[in-house]
Amino acid sequence: MLPPRAKRLGLNLVGAAAILLAWEACAGLDIINPFLLPPPSRLLSTFGEMLGNGLLLTHAAASLERVMVGFLIAAFMGMAAGVALGWWNTASELLQPIIEALRPIPPIAWTPLAILWFGIGNAPRYFLVFVGAVFPVFVNTFAAVRGLDRTQINAALCLGAGSRLLLTDVVIPASLPIIFPGLRIALGVGWMCVVAAELIAAQSGLGYLIQQSRLLLQTQNVLTGMIAIGIIGFAMNAGMLWLERRLIPWRAAGAHP
Amino acid sequence: MSGRGLAQLSVRAVSKVFAGRNGIAEVPALTGVNLEIRSGEFLVLLGPSGCGKSTLLNLLAGFTRPTSGAVLHDGEEIGAPDKRRTVVFQEYALFPWKTVQQNVEFGLKAQGLPRREREDIAREWLSVVRLSGFEDRYPHEISGGMKQRAAIARAIAPDPEVLLMDEPFGALDAQTRVLLQEEVARISSETGKTIVFVTHSIDEAVFLGDRIVVMSSRPGRVRETHEVNLPRPRVPGVRVEKTYRELVEMLWTSLRPEWQTETGAATGTA
Repeated sequence: MLPPRAKRLGLNLVGAAAILLAWEACAGLDIINPFLLPPPSRLLSTFGEMLGNGLLLTHAAASLERVMVGFLIAAFMGMAAGVALGWWNTASELLQPIIEALRPIPPIAWTPLAILWFGIGNAPRYFLVFVGAVFPVFVNTFAAVRGLDRTQINAALCLGAGSRLLLTDVVIPASLPIIFPGLRIALGVGWMCVVAAELIAAQSGLGYLIQQSRLLLQTQNVLTGMIAIGIIGFAMNAGMLWLERRLIPWRAAGAHP
Repeated sequence: MSGRGLAQLSVRAVSKVFAGRNGIAEVPALTGVNLEIRSGEFLVLLGPSGCGKSTLLNLLAGFTRPTSGAVLHDGEEIGAPDKRRTVVFQEYALFPWKTVQQNVEFGLKAQGLPRREREDIAREWLSVVRLSGFEDRYPHEISGGMKQRAAIARAIAPDPEVLLMDEPFGALDAQTRVLLQEEVARISSETGKTIVFVTHSIDEAVFLGDRIVVMSSRPGRVRETHEVNLPRPRVPGVRVEKTYRELVEMLWTSLRPEWQTETGAATGTA
């Protein structure tokens, strides 16, 4: 008997290999049109080619820069707003309805306004990433601050904590375990937004690459771009999970204090 | 700071009513409580659950305000938590994101002490509560008894005038509890701090207290007060002294009827 983990991994690989083989076979047997859906072997060679000539990396770097700028602004503002509204009831009652009304609007619907407001440079793309990423950060931070353990706050207050120490040493770290999943979701949403934004108006980026390739009828490049988007999104999520474990070591045991 | 023997904390005609929610009637937690706590005294608030002893402690801490009456510290009305009165909570309330050492340093950091100095003071107190060697552990990595030792060190490190302890050993097993009672007895004698200690254990009350204030429930009020004429520091041998056993017996006899109704007829007299 194999250990369960090896067995699971084995099944994962078998499943993936079977699908890729079937896909390859369908293309080879002319069941699917290789122009509309190029076979895996073709995609692999295109991927290698585009990595080799630097095209993929240039576009990926352009997209990553946009997502990071938009995401960092969203993370900062989302956390600031979440802490402020979580802490002060009046602020929450004043602003919460507006936030809840803006939240369901898909980030892509902001594109026309973004272009009108920010022109055609990188600014509208930062803005679209920001719009997509800010709400998950805000919602989780708000919930975290609202759910703070009153006893821990009392403990800090009777030990003489001022508002600054209370914020940096109690409120923020206590909220991190809930804020972090929000940040992770926000980065994922931001990544989707940047690609969507590049489809519409850009001269670089992975979204631009697949849009341009479509116009040139290079389906294999479209798919290669899509695969790169998937791989980078996966890597970013894994990176955030790693960071989460590093930054929240006390959560390791899942135990209560 | 007031001298030994003078009232340091005063509770004057205090009532506390918790507002009812969603049509539920108001809940009177305390009614007409008067209490004078002397500087350096070890005062125990003893009573069944629901007698308002924790509410009284929260009023002394400044976490809540009385509905009527006044709570004073050195003659000044208590309106908010203050570093002159630190609290040890039943559920420890350690900061899980800080190591044991950082937890104990918290109050010192709040006072703005330089890093070096607060590290030394914290380490000293950790050694007093016998936690040396556990400085870099996180709270989830140590036992309940050790957490409460750390919480005691955290509360006492900033050198408060009054230590408020809210059923600090309620969540611990019997053996750990006895050991920690002895630690607190030792620390209280060594530091001479004013301590207000909430418990529902008669043995704990008699072992630790200079004076025991017995409270009754519904509504919470002071029922009787007993001086404990046992020598300090309290050592384990105190438990076999005649005075100790007589006082425990007397408190049991006095409290049994009310506690029996509290625990309900279902549990019987066993």
